[in-house]
Amino acid sequence: MMVTARRLRSIGWMATLVVCVALVMVLAFRVNALRSQVHLSQAKIIALKQETMYLETEFETRANQQQLKTWNDVEFGYAAPIASQYLDNERQLASYAKPAEPDAPAPIRVASADDAVVVAAAFPAMVSPVTGQRINGQATSEAGAAHDRTTAVPQTNDDDAPKVTHKAVYATGLAGLGERLGMVRHAGRTNNKAKTAKLAAKKPSGQKTKSARATLKRSPSLAGIKRSPSLAGVHKSPSRAFAGHIVRAKDRLASAEPRHHALPASKSGTPLIKIALRDEKTAK
Amino acid sequence: MNAFSPAHNPEANIIAGTSTPSAAIVSGGRHPGRRHLANMRLLSLQTAKMRLLWVVVGFVFFTLTAFIRIGQLGYVAQTPDHGAATDVLVPPRAEITDRNGVPLARAFPAYSLWFNPKALGAKGQPLVKTPEEVARALVQIFPEEDYGEMLAKLKAGNPTYLRRRVLPEQANKIFALGEPALEFPRETQRFYPQGSLAAHVLGYVEEDGRGKLGMEQVLDARLTDPAHRAEPVALSIDARAQGAMEDELSRGMLETHAKGAAGIILDVDTGEVIALASLPSFDPNRGDLARNALVFNRASNQVYELGSTFKPFTIASAIDAGVVTDLAVRYPATPFKIDGFTIHDSHAFGASLNVPEALIHSSNIVTAQVADKLGGQRLRDTMIALGMNARPPIELPAKGFPIWPKGEWPRLRTMTVSYGHGIAVTPLHLAAGYAALVNGGIWRPTTLYKVDPAHAAAGRRVFQASTSARMRQLLRLIVVDGTGKKADASGFRVGGKTGSAEIAGGHGAGYKNKTAIIATFAAAFPMDRPRYVVIAMLDEPKATQSTSGQRTAAWNTAPIVSRVVARVGPLLGVVPDARRDVDVSDLTPLVANGDGE
Repeated sequence: MMVTARRLRSIGWMATLVVCVALVMVLAFRVNALRSQVHLSQAKIIALKQETMYLETEFETRANQQQLKTWNDVEFGYAAPIASQYLDNERQLASYAKPAEPDAPAPIRVASADDAVVVAAAFPAMVSPVTGQRINGQATSEAGAAHDRTTAVPQTNDDDAPKVTHKAVYATGLAGLGERLGMVRHAGRTNNKAKTAKLAAKKPSGQKTKSARATLKRSPSLAGIKRSPSLAGVHKSPSRAFAGHIVRAKDRLASAEPRHHALPASKSGTPLIKIALRDEKTAK
Repeated sequence: MNAFSPAHNPEANIIAGTSTPSAAIVSGGRHPGRRHLANMRLLSLQTAKMRLLWVVVGFVFFTLTAFIRIGQLGYVAQTPDHGAATDVLVPPRAEITDRNGVPLARAFPAYSLWFNPKALGAKGQPLVKTPEEVARALVQIFPEEDYGEMLAKLKAGNPTYLRRRVLPEQANKIFALGEPALEFPRETQRFYPQGSLAAHVLGYVEEDGRGKLGMEQVLDARLTDPAHRAEPVALSIDARAQGAMEDELSRGMLETHAKGAAGIILDVDTGEVIALASLPSFDPNRGDLARNALVFNRASNQVYELGSTFKPFTIASAIDAGVVTDLAVRYPATPFKIDGFTIHDSHAFGASLNVPEALIHSSNIVTAQVADKLGGQRLRDTMIALGMNARPPIELPAKGFPIWPKGEWPRLRTMTVSYGHGIAVTPLHLAAGYAALVNGGIWRPTTLYKVDPAHAAAGRRVFQASTSARMRQLLRLIVVDGTGKKADASGFRVGGKTGSAEIAGGHGAGYKNKTAIIATFAAAFPMDRPRYVVIAMLDEPKATQSTSGQRTAAWNTAPIVSRVVARVGPLLGVVPDARRDVDVSDLTPLVANGDGE
């Protein structure tokens, strides 16, 4: 029995030794494996850093000062900002948001192209591939009203509106922006003069034109009126063309659509039809 | 076994009891088993001890090895070959950046074109096509290369560089030729991403790897030092300001058909050179082509008689010395003769002028009289204090030595120096002088190293602070009411002085060529708290339509300064403000508005 105990003990020691050696070896292998991984990652990092350096250098070379200057001379024509373009403080910035005084002169209206036509040509109305029907009419007009309230167009779009409308909405937003910046609506020249005048009377004149326009936009049937003053400015018989337009405006769904959808060909004699024909061309 | 042997021994004695003592003596010999057993026991004990020792030694050995290994893994080898791996990323020559970290010069593995005639085997033709065809194709890709030279290299059949730097597009085109002998090894070369921007400041690197000309030469040891190669060297240059300066100078040069141009922007408080341009320039990327006249630095190496831009120094010196105490005092403004030389103005400004008017109209006559009252010695001392008698204090190797009138100045020399003739300095001297004029009167050496504003050079006081304040007013007045009107960048409160100096002929030939002038505008902005000095200089501008048929500084360099300030000001932290300005209300009653040069 003593022998067996002795043996057992020595076998135990041997086993312990073997286990220890095995553990050390496992540890060594694992460390080596990890180390080679580190080496690999390091090599990768170096390669990537070098790549970054190449690309950075290439970018800097292509966009070097002389190149930018040449582009500016040919394409952009940016000039250094002048003193009046700097703001002193937040107070000065806030002063730009002040509404106009009641007896302030009307803002100056400048001539500009009708952006909506261009935009409509660039983004034709969405048509369902299955039915051939327009699929986003309502959503667009709704969003059209929405973008008039704020410039952040895509965010104000309704959740239930299809995603495909975003482009069109954005397009109308662009068109609307140009219009809002460049043109002034004269309430007296629209057909619903009395309505807008009434609305305007309730509010200070600074918000008059804006609110009148917003009202027009929000009723889908009147969405087409939007561009009319600018057309009226171009053509000789504005009131007649305008009246005809209003009648058909009920059929119209989106302000960004090409105009020819709403207008029958028989009207080709009037100035408005000329515009429509022009649109037909631009739409293609 | 050993445990049983004592039991046997008594038995053995009983058996052997009848034997004689002699027999008993030899009994050991007759019973060899007993001794054998004792030996066995000893042997076994030894063996056991040895085994135990071996086991212990083994254990100790393994334990030690294991511990050492674990310790090694844990402490020593924690960062395996960290240095060796990152060494790859350390460039052979350190990067040079501008003050904002924009790389201006870096090591870049660019392609080069190597001709290896052995590529198709040691024997036979090195090229697939004829050398003529290949040379023609190569010249089509590189139109600036010489056909004959290329052909000679291809025909010689020796391995050689055909071209040091090849763009990837060009490399693709060469590859399309299908010639295995044309190889594109990627070699780390010095690359300047901004092209010729700040070429004179940077210099270039020769094929053997030595820096030449600019900071590449100055910093050669630092840039190639293995201990510091990884850290880029920041210069005081601002790449954007440098670009704006070069743009506007080259525009001014084209508009006036000038021979050359120089421009400097200097920080008045630290002496840092924000921009230093000399045109025409060269491309440091083609160092092999840079051995020509274009590498000559007009801003720091060429000395010019800078003319009327020296008048503010004279006036400041006179105010400082108490010679001019009342700015309302009028001096006769009619040409006068001295030592057989007539001092006259560009045109008549009436019978008399006071000091502000003299600066506004740039009157040589009045300045000469002020200098005469001041005396040659004091004017000379001021000029020495402004460093006009030594090479400009800049790191660049290209530093021009001024033409400095030696000895005591006679009256005439004092008078001509007072309006910038008879003394020739570099535009950099002028910039440093103007910085001292407007920054409160302290002259500081100019530097191309980025300087911490808290540790700017102490410098030396040249003018009193009150004199400097007065000069700010006067310089601003020149731009508001005088010859510098076209330099008035709106809102930047620019002040400065024009200078249109006729170029003297060689070897004291006098000012024969009346149409060749150096037009300079020395300015500082914003004048209510000067931050930067801007110098623009055109070498021999011609009268053109774009300068309204004028060739003086008021018409060509003043607009350059205006455009540079408008572009650079916001970048350097000067916000234009039309409602701020230096107060000149105490001087305005003294001046009748008018123009002059």
